[in-house]
Amino acid sequence: MVDAARRVARMARGPGQGRSSFTKSRAEEQVADEPSAGTPLLRVVSDEFYPDWEAVYRDNVARVYRLMFAKVGNRPDAEDLTAEVFATALRPLRVSASAAEVRAYLLVTARTVLAGHWRRTLGREVTTLTDEDSLEATPADAPTSADTAGRAAAMLAQLPESYRRILELRFLESCSVREAATAMGISVTYAKVLQHRALRAAAALREVSE
Amino acid sequence: MSRRGARRFVADLLRGRRPRSFRAQDTDVDDLRAAITLRSAQPGSGVPREEFVADLHQRLADQLAGKHSTEDAEPVRPARVDTTRRRLVAASSLAAAAAAVGAVADHVLTTRTPAPDGVAGPQTLVPNTGSWRTVAASADLTEGGVQGFDLGTVVGFVSRTGGALRAVSGVCTHLGCRLALDVPTRQLDCPCHQTSFALDGELLRHQLRVPPPALPQLEVREADGAVQIYAPPGPA
Repeated sequence: MVDAARRVARMARGPGQGRSSFTKSRAEEQVADEPSAGTPLLRVVSDEFYPDWEAVYRDNVARVYRLMFAKVGNRPDAEDLTAEVFATALRPLRVSASAAEVRAYLLVTARTVLAGHWRRTLGREVTTLTDEDSLEATPADAPTSADTAGRAAAMLAQLPESYRRILELRFLESCSVREAATAMGISVTYAKVLQHRALRAAAALREVSE
Repeated sequence: MSRRGARRFVADLLRGRRPRSFRAQDTDVDDLRAAITLRSAQPGSGVPREEFVADLHQRLADQLAGKHSTEDAEPVRPARVDTTRRRLVAASSLAAAAAAVGAVADHVLTTRTPAPDGVAGPQTLVPNTGSWRTVAASADLTEGGVQGFDLGTVVGFVSRTGGALRAVSGVCTHLGCRLALDVPTRQLDCPCHQTSFALDGELLRHQLRVPPPALPQLEVREADGAVQIYAPPGPA
């Protein structure tokens, strides 16, 4: 059986080095094609272990789901991609790997699964899992990650009032066009136009901020 | 006509449906990404359905038991273990491993290791560099007494029950809120999510999906008429 998590961890450390550290030069050498590999000296510090695959699943299913939801924005896809991550990752996983190693492996798998999803559906990589995404940063039971809410809030804060309002009503509060139009005192037709313009404006903001 | 595809994608997102595939153009991508960002900030959206979690658990159990040899009975999406995937995994693993490992560095003090029999037991916090630091006069901590302490580096509660001293961390193992002592019930309450711990660190009550671990124990002793905790040196 392939011991994938160990393999990942071993790669991270490099051969011939201690169990708990790897050096920067080694890291850069191995991920020359990764743009953000400027990782300083790191040490594997989590000595937490999972007793079995079910513990891996229980502890991480909500984290993986939330990460995926943040990247695809809808439940059916988030569920399928979460299932794909675990189906792909659990079989080669040996639970003797530490929790940190297991999560690193799940994250790597999630990244590949997400990339495959966009390739299949749109042919464009709309969202990616980056080094800033982490399973650790999404506690198992928070309703949404602070990060996700923060990004949306920052985006909305830069928009004019009417744009902000229509996007809040439609995207965050899940109002129908009609409900949103009523709430704003505008026609349904205009609400649709407004929503479209507001989303375009929000998309343009993002380009600037990134 | 990708404009139409993008509009339909957004409409599907808003209805909570699976967006239909289309050949997206570069000009669509920013719109779609903005829509996803907004939609994923919808309150409660990041929590998986209980049925989904239970169903996937079952499917994985079947798969791991080798039952899913055929395509019937809705298998978990078959893993496309092709060379592309392997190569991608290999290429992207290091940075992700590094990120994940870095992220746990801060939590190491409060994580726990499983007991030898595989059942996770309470963990005792023993700092690499520490000293015995006084938190109370022996006389002030009488039988049945509880006292909170804040040593700068660690906070906790020390109690004397049945003549024995015990000290536990005063930080909730869920998300790190500081626990408060409820004197009448003699329990430690988290102000954030209604989690409660006993004075020996055991979890008493929670409303979380996954029960948080017991509170880490701290080493405590009595010397020269003082109750002392073994803790790292305080901030300068």
